[in-house]
Amino acid sequence: MPKRNGTGRRNFIQNRVDVIMFSQSRAIMKRELSYMWRDKGLRNILLIVPLLGLLLFVGVYSYQRVDNISTAIVDLDKSSASQQVITGLKNSQDLQVIAYPNNYDHLRELIKKGEVIVGVVIPENYGKDVALGHQTKVAVLIDGTNMIYATNATSAILTVTRTLGAEIGIKTLIAQGIQPNQALEAYQSIEFREEAWFNPTMNYAYFLVLAFALNMWQQCCTLTSCMNIIGENGVRSWLQIKASGMSTLKLFFCKSLVHIGIFMLMVLPVYFFAFGIFRFPLTSGWPLLLLFTFVFTISLHSLGTLMSSISGNAVNATRFGMVIALPSFVISGFTWPLETMPQWFQPLAWILPQTWFFQGINYLTFKNQGWEFMSRYIFVLGLMAVLFYSAAALYAHSVKTLFRKG
Amino acid sequence: MIDVKQILNIAHYEVVHIFKDLILFLIVFAAPLLYAALFGMIYISGTLQHVPLGIVDLDHSAESRAVVSAFENAANFQVIPEVNTYAGLEEGMKNGAVRAGVVIPKDYSQKLSQHQLTQILTVYDSSNLIYGYNTRKYFQTVLNTFSAEHTAAYLGGLGMTKQEITNVMDAVSFRMQVWYNPTFSYVTFLFMGLVIMILHQIGLLSIGLTVTREKERNSWIQFLCAAVPQWKIFLGKALPYFIANFFNYGLLLWISARFVNVKIGGSLALILLLGLLFNVILVSLGFIISLYAPNSLQVTRYLMLLSVPLFVISGYTWPATHIPMVLNGLARLMPYTWMAEGFRLATVKGLGFDYLSTTILVMTIMAAITTCFALSVTEGRFLCTARAKSRLIKILYRR
Repeated sequence: MPKRNGTGRRNFIQNRVDVIMFSQSRAIMKRELSYMWRDKGLRNILLIVPLLGLLLFVGVYSYQRVDNISTAIVDLDKSSASQQVITGLKNSQDLQVIAYPNNYDHLRELIKKGEVIVGVVIPENYGKDVALGHQTKVAVLIDGTNMIYATNATSAILTVTRTLGAEIGIKTLIAQGIQPNQALEAYQSIEFREEAWFNPTMNYAYFLVLAFALNMWQQCCTLTSCMNIIGENGVRSWLQIKASGMSTLKLFFCKSLVHIGIFMLMVLPVYFFAFGIFRFPLTSGWPLLLLFTFVFTISLHSLGTLMSSISGNAVNATRFGMVIALPSFVISGFTWPLETMPQWFQPLAWILPQTWFFQGINYLTFKNQGWEFMSRYIFVLGLMAVLFYSAAALYAHSVKTLFRKG
Repeated sequence: MIDVKQILNIAHYEVVHIFKDLILFLIVFAAPLLYAALFGMIYISGTLQHVPLGIVDLDHSAESRAVVSAFENAANFQVIPEVNTYAGLEEGMKNGAVRAGVVIPKDYSQKLSQHQLTQILTVYDSSNLIYGYNTRKYFQTVLNTFSAEHTAAYLGGLGMTKQEITNVMDAVSFRMQVWYNPTFSYVTFLFMGLVIMILHQIGLLSIGLTVTREKERNSWIQFLCAAVPQWKIFLGKALPYFIANFFNYGLLLWISARFVNVKIGGSLALILLLGLLFNVILVSLGFIISLYAPNSLQVTRYLMLLSVPLFVISGYTWPATHIPMVLNGLARLMPYTWMAEGFRLATVKGLGFDYLSTTILVMTIMAAITTCFALSVTEGRFLCTARAKSRLIKILYRR
């Protein structure tokens, strides 16, 4: 055996230590993976839920837009003028005339039963009144119970009535002896063009499906990360780990690495299906999206770890984690905007990593925001991770100290 | 004669458990209130107002200022003066500083004076469709008013009197009425759906742990060995949760109507009946889940993950008419779908028993099936565990 000098021996020992440390870390990670796999409930959740959620939501929003809103027309006039109104309504992409009730009461019943959303009543003598220049009123009734229907139907009706009103006004003016070009100019000299930016077809699937699936994913991640500490010190094997002299920091670092890796592996198929198969918009590109998701994953894991550190058992850790994870999507302002929430509440919403994530996802998918804009989001999520991990370590340490003293 | 005392004893035992376990106590009594308060705060404003708007006036004429003032006077928009160039508008829309924009071309007044067609561009942010659809509607409203004013001014310029102008312009007036939710309030639309989901989840979760807890503490054996009929165990265990759930139902309805200004009209008897049926379904379903679940952790995990899918497929927000039939059929198997829809029809539309007969019938059938199943499953479960029971007794006896 060759003799080693002092430096060589130190290097040899250092190498041996490195090998042992590495193999120990590898063993911890392997153990964590095996624990996660053995937990059948958790395994099913992690493997199935996010992707199943995405497919379910794709199915629900497969129509993508709320058009062809069922409309009923009570035509009490049955003239060519009233037919013109019906044609105007039929030409609207958002409305679909499905019924012609005989009277107002019948129409009201249809709306009450939810069979139609929009009702139009054209009065008797409508054509005659229009021809004679007498005033006449067309009633438009909209069921406002479901706002998705109601806002779309209202916009459609406002567009149709403006066009119809202009057509009738032009005819009336011409009938009164005004020059046709002047009559046209009175009503149609200004054209109003509208553009829906970022989501031009106003597609609900683009807006909501990925966000809902990511919401499911973050809930699954929370469930797992909530077990980070309590999954160890809440079971008897903790004593063995303590007795082995293994560094606690190293143990949780390796466990966390596994968790974060798994979380990223879970989200990749979701992104692949969303952007690759279903062709949802992704304006900012993959690298930034993945980096942003990775930082959020760490941040979310840190929050779960904090919940795990303050809980007495696994069930309570899950409850605490989910208390935050469940309403976080609503709080994030992804759907109901943050700006409409009370002023004092808005800063509180930004305490949650989910708020930064869902807001950021909106910017990345629709608005092509680059590194410069997103760096603030990434920095804050990173900072949150540091804070939550530190708080978890401090809490776990203080409990341990108290326990020793006790 | 039924001996109620045994049921009350088991119920008392369950109440003691609830009061001893602080977290369970908070879940049963504080969580519904907490979540309702949270969602109430989030949706308290009800309508989307003060949409930040950037106006790019490239014309700077008296005519273009008329357009600007039309938007400045609109209650639903808040003009952001800093955003006044097209590049600024693009940037503002990207970073969220504004959610809508109006662009008036630089030859706007010139074209008007030359009697040529001119165009005003309106843009809105549809990356969030709540902004998108509402802003579109607000634009239509403002532009209809502005358009009418412009026409009136033009006709005035032709020498027509005010009365003549009114006669022409009001030849046909379209009177739009929005029924049931005329203010387009998101509170009326959405909030009670969330409240019912809270009651659904808390209701299932609280009773969902009642048997798993006993199994984990090895105290389920006491129930197995006790000379108490199985149905009495179910009733005794379910009673405290039934009362707590019904209390929460009433409390949240009162808070929603009193503090969040949710429209809750209609028949009180119908509201109570719906709550009663929903509650029966929840406690019996929760008990069945608890009986079959391997442990409390799995119950907690699975139940919590169900909230979002149940809400989305129910058709409460995205209309059922636009959901594929298979998923609609699946949603119809869920008590939440029927309760949320029935509650909305009763409270927002103010419909009576005759319109809700299908909902009540289905919920009654669901309640009957789940209750019978809870009782029969309990029996089955006892039979299944008879072998395990005898084995356990042997072990205990040896010790």
